[in-house]
Amino acid sequence: MTEVVTNGHHVTHGAAPPPTGFRRFLVAGWLRVPWMMALFFAIGLGLVLLLRSIAGWDPLWEWDTIVVVAFLTTMPLGFLAGLGAFDYWVYYALGYPSRPEDHSGHGARSWKDYFRVNTDHKVIGVQYLSTTFFFFVIGGLLAMLVRAELAQPGMQFTDNQGYNGAFSTHATLMIFLFVIPAFAGLANYVVPLMLGAPDMAFPRLNALSYWLLPIAGLMLVASFFAPGGAPAAGWTNYASLSTHQPMGVLFFNMAVQWAGASSVMTALNFLVTIITMRAPGMTFWRMPLLVWANFTTSLLVVLATPFIAGSQFFVMFDNVMHTHFFDWNAGGYVLGYQHIFWFYSHPAVYIMMLPGFGIISEVISVMARKPIFGYRLMALSLLAILVLGFSVWAHHMFVSGMASYLRVPMMITTLLIAVPTGIKVFSWCATLWEGKLHFNTPMLWALGFVSMFTIGGLSGVYLGAVPIDIHVSDTAFIVAHIHYVLFSGAFFTIMAGAYYWFPKMTGRMYDERLGKIHFWTTFVAFNCTFFPMHLIGTQGMPRRVADYVPKFADWNLFISISSFVLGASIIVFFYNMITSWRYGPPAPGNPWRALTLEWQVTSPPPVFNFDEIPQVVGSPYEYGVPGARHALLNGARTGQLEEVQR
Amino acid sequence: MRRGAIVQLLLFAAVAGVIATIMALYPHWLPPTASEQADRIGYVFWYVTIICAAIFSLVAAILIYSIVKFRAAPGDDSDGQSIHGHTGLEIAWTAVPFALVTSMGIFSAVVLARNDRTGNNPLRVDITAQQFAWSFKYPQHNDLATTVLRLPVDRTVRFRLRALDVIHSFWVPEFAQKQDAVPGIDTFVTITPNKKGVFPIICTELCGLGHAAMRSTVIVMSQQAWSKWVKSASKAAGGGGGANAGRTVFDQNGCGSCHTFKPANSAGKVGPDLDKLSEEAQRAGKPLEEFVRESIVDPNAYVEKGYPANVMPPTFKSLPKEQLDSLVQFLISGSGGAK
Repeated sequence: MTEVVTNGHHVTHGAAPPPTGFRRFLVAGWLRVPWMMALFFAIGLGLVLLLRSIAGWDPLWEWDTIVVVAFLTTMPLGFLAGLGAFDYWVYYALGYPSRPEDHSGHGARSWKDYFRVNTDHKVIGVQYLSTTFFFFVIGGLLAMLVRAELAQPGMQFTDNQGYNGAFSTHATLMIFLFVIPAFAGLANYVVPLMLGAPDMAFPRLNALSYWLLPIAGLMLVASFFAPGGAPAAGWTNYASLSTHQPMGVLFFNMAVQWAGASSVMTALNFLVTIITMRAPGMTFWRMPLLVWANFTTSLLVVLATPFIAGSQFFVMFDNVMHTHFFDWNAGGYVLGYQHIFWFYSHPAVYIMMLPGFGIISEVISVMARKPIFGYRLMALSLLAILVLGFSVWAHHMFVSGMASYLRVPMMITTLLIAVPTGIKVFSWCATLWEGKLHFNTPMLWALGFVSMFTIGGLSGVYLGAVPIDIHVSDTAFIVAHIHYVLFSGAFFTIMAGAYYWFPKMTGRMYDERLGKIHFWTTFVAFNCTFFPMHLIGTQGMPRRVADYVPKFADWNLFISISSFVLGASIIVFFYNMITSWRYGPPAPGNPWRALTLEWQVTSPPPVFNFDEIPQVVGSPYEYGVPGARHALLNGARTGQLEEVQR
Repeated sequence: MRRGAIVQLLLFAAVAGVIATIMALYPHWLPPTASEQADRIGYVFWYVTIICAAIFSLVAAILIYSIVKFRAAPGDDSDGQSIHGHTGLEIAWTAVPFALVTSMGIFSAVVLARNDRTGNNPLRVDITAQQFAWSFKYPQHNDLATTVLRLPVDRTVRFRLRALDVIHSFWVPEFAQKQDAVPGIDTFVTITPNKKGVFPIICTELCGLGHAAMRSTVIVMSQQAWSKWVKSASKAAGGGGGANAGRTVFDQNGCGSCHTFKPANSAGKVGPDLDKLSEEAQRAGKPLEEFVRESIVDPNAYVEKGYPANVMPPTFKSLPKEQLDSLVQFLISGSGGAK
């Protein structure tokens, strides 16, 4: 690993001269994208028409099939091919001499490099984060539409199709296009740096997994323009409602496949990177907890994601090919959908939180100037959540009519998950004890997370107890719980990470005052929005309804107004990030005086991260321990290593 | 540890505990219960609430205490104490939550078992759910059918649920019991109403565009009043037919939850207004009777402007012929079919 060519920080040698004339349309890039997309669409269309005419099926132009094959499958492949995501592999597979790696697709020298297939994990990290925030805004606006409709009983702003489409797509975008990939983006940027590695293990795969993401997102947005409107069966897309839906549901089915493929590829990449590319001396017990968290998350992603892929393919086949997976009239099994779906989607809840746990461990330890309390138990509790996470899926199905003997075992495992989660909360609290706390923006988000996540975790204990769950299933209480868990476990932690690593990513400091304003408005508005939902839920307000009885009108109006404040608070964030990126004061390499490796290089880091692979000599959290070092860098290793060993 | 830190911490915890207790007691978290099962669920709810309030107070106290006491002074760049862990504490906060959740699990399992008990002679009620209506049958009383559920107080009811199209879920908040109705399988739920009154029946599983309108009512009445109602209702059903038959079909299939139709006193807004059927038939360019019949059995053949297709369930094509005929007659007569 140490023979990496670094050549200074500006790798410009060997790049071919830019092509001219019509040849510009042949090289990888945005000029090649439109005609490749058209070509691949035509290929898909031709395939469908050819097969249908051979089989003699009527009608020849069957739009559901054409949309699935040509529009949702081959055309996105054309987009990727046009952009050049497959170039290297295609050259290799066809036996062409693969071009020598000149690093021209690695690192960003201008903003245009962020719109290319770039193999630098830092560029990809920023691409991920920008894309996910884009879809976060769309998902947030959909939530605003949902809340506007719910502000009063009756129908005001949209019809039932619009409303169901809005909340379904809100959840789908937030889960598959914001939370999961935003964590992947942060980890993409940080994990190789923390490991002392020059990049991810498979940079080209990394680039491909990013570019699958905008495809999935645009597909979901495009579903609003499909005949019959956006998918309207909830993000859970339960059969047999979803198997009798207009075309929009096909967009959902396929978007989940693209997003799922993206996260599986990234997860594999993380696993290989973490297992094989740790710097010398970086044993598993010396890895920062963020790396541990992404290691566990990646295991979850790799093992669980194929299940949701399967469930969505079955729904799509039932819709398009008229199979009978979930058609009870023909021997299909309606509950089977839920078992397969939740076998992914419960672990997915941990996929959406464990990376956040990692971020919080980093931030709290650094900002409290203390070693993380109970480091090994913190890492082991992640693994405990991983294992238990696969044994609790049916707690989403306590009222579903599944075999009733499944309920008590699933309740026990569900309640037991509170134990490792509790260990983490208590350890974060203990890390604060006798520390020197610095209440800057990342720390505020971290502490906001710990307090709010405690509420979300405890309302999860209510839901774990079957009798209570039976009462509150599918009510606003569930909406409250899921937002306390995921808004804190994912959004708060992503914010903590975004502020914490912003100086590293951009080389600029953000505005601390605006960061605090952002935190406090979000924190207050978040609680005003979601806490009352517990109450109206237990009292009888179901979820996923556009209209409701007048006795909940006052609370709903209050919730809606709070949610608009919550939505508006994100403007402060974007304003802060954009202006600071341009005009903020330059950031030093290590503004937080942190020990982990990403802070030991310049901000932003050089293209290949480290001039010399660091030598890890100790734990990453030895704050307050005199003379303790995490790693030796930049030629310091020969002299100081001996000193440390003595 | 600092002297007095524990005392101060406990003080913070006590304050947080008082606030949490007020939060737990002041709003009415659970609706007034109206079944034995709801009462037992309430016990679990309060047991979990006590434990959760205690744990929340503890965490809140540690956080607030740390924020107040361990704030770094401006310009203080020193590090905190290098505490790496404490085996005793770590064992404690693994073991204590383990014990607490286990106790909740046992309590819940006992309540669950008690709530599923039906006793010797439960009243049996068959629930049929379809987009977007509930209908009920009493198999022990000659399959007496109704769209408003009536139950005697203090008698255990064993419900059997069936769904004709997609998944629905039967919930009466005051009964605190909930059960999905799943196409293709029979599901069951047990409820013992113990208060007289009128309560809403709510569908809580997203079942399509009319989901919010899929509501009905349960009336819990005294045993005598209920027996009387069964007798009179059975007689009325036996002598059925004629003009009332169409109205019965209309009610039992829940047409009114989506459609406005004055003769049936319904005011649903999901689907087109049935008081204007003749104008709609004109727009469709079809004779009224043919149009009405076609709209029931093949709803997508003509879709009224301003309403999306695929909302009206296609299941009504399976209505028995005589029911369909009477429904069509009822709709035509109500919309001034002579015109």
